[in-house]
Amino acid sequence: MEAVRRLNYRERRANRIGTGVSPAVVIALVAAAIFLLVGSLLSPIFAQQTVAGLAQGAVFASLALALVLIYRATEVINFAQGEMAMATTYFAYQLTLWHVSYWWAFFLTLIIAFFFGAIVQVAIIRPVQRSVIAVVIVTVGMFVLIDGLVTWKWGADLKFMPAPFGNTVYHVGSVAFARQDIGTLVVTIISVVLLWVLFKFTKLGLAMRAAALRPASAALVGVRVNRMLAIGWGLAAVLGAVAGLMTEPTVFLQPTMMQAVLLYAFAAAVLGGLESPAGAVIGGLALGVFLNLVGQYVGFATSELRLPIAFAVLLIVLLVKPHGLFGSKQVRRV
Amino acid sequence: MGMKGRVLAVFAGVIVIAAVAVTAAFGAHKADPGVTSSSILIGGTFPLTGVASLYKTIPGAEAAYFAYVNDHGGVNGRKITFDIKDDAYDPSKTVPLTQQLVEQDKVFAVFGSLGTAPNLATWSYLNQKKVPQVLIATGDSYWGFSAKKYPWTIGWQPDYPGEGKIYGKYIAANQPNAKIGVLYQNDAYGKNYYAGLRVGLGAKKSQIVSAQSYDVTQTSLAQQILALKAAGADTFVIFATPSPTITALVTATKVGWAPTATYVNNVSANRVFMQLAASNGASLNGVVSTSYLVSPTYAPQANTVGVKLAKAIIGQYAPALLPSLNGGDANVVYGLGAAWTMVYALQHAGKTPTRAGLMKALKTLNVKDPFTYPGIKVQTSAKDNFPIEQEIMIKWTGNGAAGDWAPFGKLYSGVR
Amino acid sequence: MKRFSVAHPLLVIGALVIALLPFQMSGYHTGLGAHVAIFFIAILGLNILTGYTGQISIGHGAFMAIGGYTTAVMSHYHHTNLILTLPLAFAIAFCFGVLVGIPALRFSGVYLALATFALAVSVPQFTLKFSSFLGGSNGLQTSTTKSNAWIYGVSWSCAAILYLVAWLVLRGRTGRAFRAIRDSEVAAAASGVTLPIYKTLAFGISAAFAGVAGSLFVIATNGFAQPNEFAVFLSLTLLIGAAVAGLGSLWGILVGAVFVALLPTVSADVPLIGSSHGQDVVFGLIVIVIMLLLPTGFAGLLYRLRSLPGIRTPVEKEAGG
Repeated sequence: MEAVRRLNYRERRANRIGTGVSPAVVIALVAAAIFLLVGSLLSPIFAQQTVAGLAQGAVFASLALALVLIYRATEVINFAQGEMAMATTYFAYQLTLWHVSYWWAFFLTLIIAFFFGAIVQVAIIRPVQRSVIAVVIVTVGMFVLIDGLVTWKWGADLKFMPAPFGNTVYHVGSVAFARQDIGTLVVTIISVVLLWVLFKFTKLGLAMRAAALRPASAALVGVRVNRMLAIGWGLAAVLGAVAGLMTEPTVFLQPTMMQAVLLYAFAAAVLGGLESPAGAVIGGLALGVFLNLVGQYVGFATSELRLPIAFAVLLIVLLVKPHGLFGSKQVRRV
Repeated sequence: MGMKGRVLAVFAGVIVIAAVAVTAAFGAHKADPGVTSSSILIGGTFPLTGVASLYKTIPGAEAAYFAYVNDHGGVNGRKITFDIKDDAYDPSKTVPLTQQLVEQDKVFAVFGSLGTAPNLATWSYLNQKKVPQVLIATGDSYWGFSAKKYPWTIGWQPDYPGEGKIYGKYIAANQPNAKIGVLYQNDAYGKNYYAGLRVGLGAKKSQIVSAQSYDVTQTSLAQQILALKAAGADTFVIFATPSPTITALVTATKVGWAPTATYVNNVSANRVFMQLAASNGASLNGVVSTSYLVSPTYAPQANTVGVKLAKAIIGQYAPALLPSLNGGDANVVYGLGAAWTMVYALQHAGKTPTRAGLMKALKTLNVKDPFTYPGIKVQTSAKDNFPIEQEIMIKWTGNGAAGDWAPFGKLYSGVR
Repeated sequence: MKRFSVAHPLLVIGALVIALLPFQMSGYHTGLGAHVAIFFIAILGLNILTGYTGQISIGHGAFMAIGGYTTAVMSHYHHTNLILTLPLAFAIAFCFGVLVGIPALRFSGVYLALATFALAVSVPQFTLKFSSFLGGSNGLQTSTTKSNAWIYGVSWSCAAILYLVAWLVLRGRTGRAFRAIRDSEVAAAASGVTLPIYKTLAFGISAAFAGVAGSLFVIATNGFAQPNEFAVFLSLTLLIGAAVAGLGSLWGILVGAVFVALLPTVSADVPLIGSSHGQDVVFGLIVIVIMLLLPTGFAGLLYRLRSLPGIRTPVEKEAGG
């Protein structure tokens, strides 16, 4: 897999089937990237805040990917996504307690997460999936249930997991790059690419998209709709597990670890367009950088307003582009 | 008997019944609620679930201490029953739960309830009902300063502004040219610490080059810490709860900032937290904090009464907490210490404990709690409603995660 | 709502029971009873928005916060009589509801849900930002506190009054417009229903109800308003209550209110898993099970029961579908 350069986003986006990529958005993003580059070259603190913002944004992006996948595959918003990610991370922790090495535990956890997600879809979501409100409520119930179960089994105190990419810090000029943050960004980008490959080039991906958009027609051509939905949830749970494991070094292992991240991930996912994985990543990164720069340079934007500002940005973008930066209006024939 | 006799008999009967009723009524008021001949019922609200649930080792340790006391004669022969309620740090739950304790369970006293906001929500109710609200687990100074208005309420631990003042005084005395950068939580907790710091620094508060607040919903503290670095701070003061403190220490190293001195507040200075920070790459060089409790891990204190008692009690009555204790979790020692003070006060609350007696005992304390640092006493008086005010400075010594806190210097006092 | 006789026997009995309960219960239980009334009011409001115009809101905790802090601020700074703060909270929350409802017109379905969710998350942050005025994390205390019996009486009186208000609003033209919007916005617009006005009105009314509930909520918390009381979970709890209630039934809303007000307390003593987590586990499990078994909520259950021969229930058929 070739090394990834950030500027490749544009090229990849243009190739994607998503029709939501409007030239205006692309131009705006390129302009923003140039602004960031110039600012970073001129001011070290600007550069540091941008780098830190990208690191933070990668964490949002990784969970936003899971949210987007679930929405894209099953048209559902999963409020329990963060808790599911947290639970799978605790499972990985348990494996490390049983002396399984970190990366083996990582991949084993992904496998377990897949089945976890699929089972949740079949047992809990499928019976109520016709009603949006019922699904929301059931996922809220899961949120509480999972939180209670994890706290019961492992306790609420902070726990330690080895850091996936170690603690080294590289220095370029006065700007510090932590290996962990670079690793998280790379993993997130790999996830997006894999998702893109899945949806664009594989039969499975096509079947999943069909099952989500036109379940009746898809069933007529032989797509096992229910199975596709379960697989969608399974894959989203895998992404969630990745997100949890990448987030753990920053927020540490505690039952509430993903709750704040979930809020920002929602904002990032909607910002990028709920049906666009690349949008989720770009939304997440943009959000992270924006929050840091605003916090640094805008006096009124003190820490209490970070979350409201994230949502205000989101709402403003939605007013202009109701389906997010890269979303497109799906026309439903009734 | 004639008519007159019958009337007299009835009259006498009425008087007897009235006398019995009156005596019964008065007699019923003799013992305060929650006290029987063989037991005392106390209760408190704690965040067993929710965002603050990492403090739930405190009621666990307190329950262990009460179990120990019950096995050794109780309080003048009475066994303590400790009712622990979970309010998840939400005042709208604290109020009904406290009402349940007072009106349904009829506790003798509310002991150790955790959290400033939860206690603020109930203190007018408890004082109105004249129910003791004692040794509450919060570092705010309201309780210390409100003895006249709310006489039934008293805290235990040193207050946050006082602790902040200690850091200020220490920095002013030992780092006269420090360029101070402060990171504080944007709620009353952090703000009170910061205010105390400024008071302690006195004239040197102009040397605070940057003070950044952060919100508990933040997932990364890099933005604030970079701002401190950019302002040229060489002294890093962190007024945060445990998880953000660890994040701050790690982030400072990750952004390439190496302050010469770092001050961490006591609540977040648990050995376990420092180890977590070190394992995630934080440099713990020159990290200083304060303490008022014995250390279960610092070798020179291993033979103190407090440490030996702590290990014995937790080992027998709360073995699940033993690994935490042996790892240096100060919250376990905190629970034991507060419970010890409670038992001491109950023992001095009268032959049959009364609520008024309890409050009197708590307001005339002058005793060494075995679980507090050697030399630190629990003292109160008519003018002093802060049971513990003194703290010892501690410095992180040793190699990264393998190190531990070592006390040094003299005892500082936070109030006055 | 429905055309049932206000003097219906079951309703009268219910009202009597509610009125007489506090004389039998301790102060603590009376407090719980007041919480049922508070959630009744809030769920009633949410029902108007979500059940009748189909706009999903996961942010009604924010309107409760607005009402609650109105009461706290007026009482703390101006020593306003607590009862007077209730209509004030109603009015202020109504204005905020309309303010939110206007941009909400641009969103629908899941986007609206997320936008209201954003509101629920953000409002407590403002109490921290303006902490000198709003008390911040150490909360804001009213100047007077009331006994549980007082709170119970006032809460249930408000519940009764607001139920009547809802009934009046929903049986008239407004109610028909709401139902038309829920069934099909296109058809409603084609029939002359000015969508923006009615949708915004629905937001305003439901927010106003939540505002009153929030005021009573703060009064019931010993007059102490603090951001942790209005965390995101409160909004989710209201939505759960509305779903358990189902659409279109007074008794449903009552059941929903009882459920969310009392279940956490009841499940706190579950011995199975350990007191603290038993509560979370039981609450989560029961919510899931109820949604799986009763997707149309309690009202749906009543509807089904009514259609069984020989059983008479007080709920009349919902007019107009």
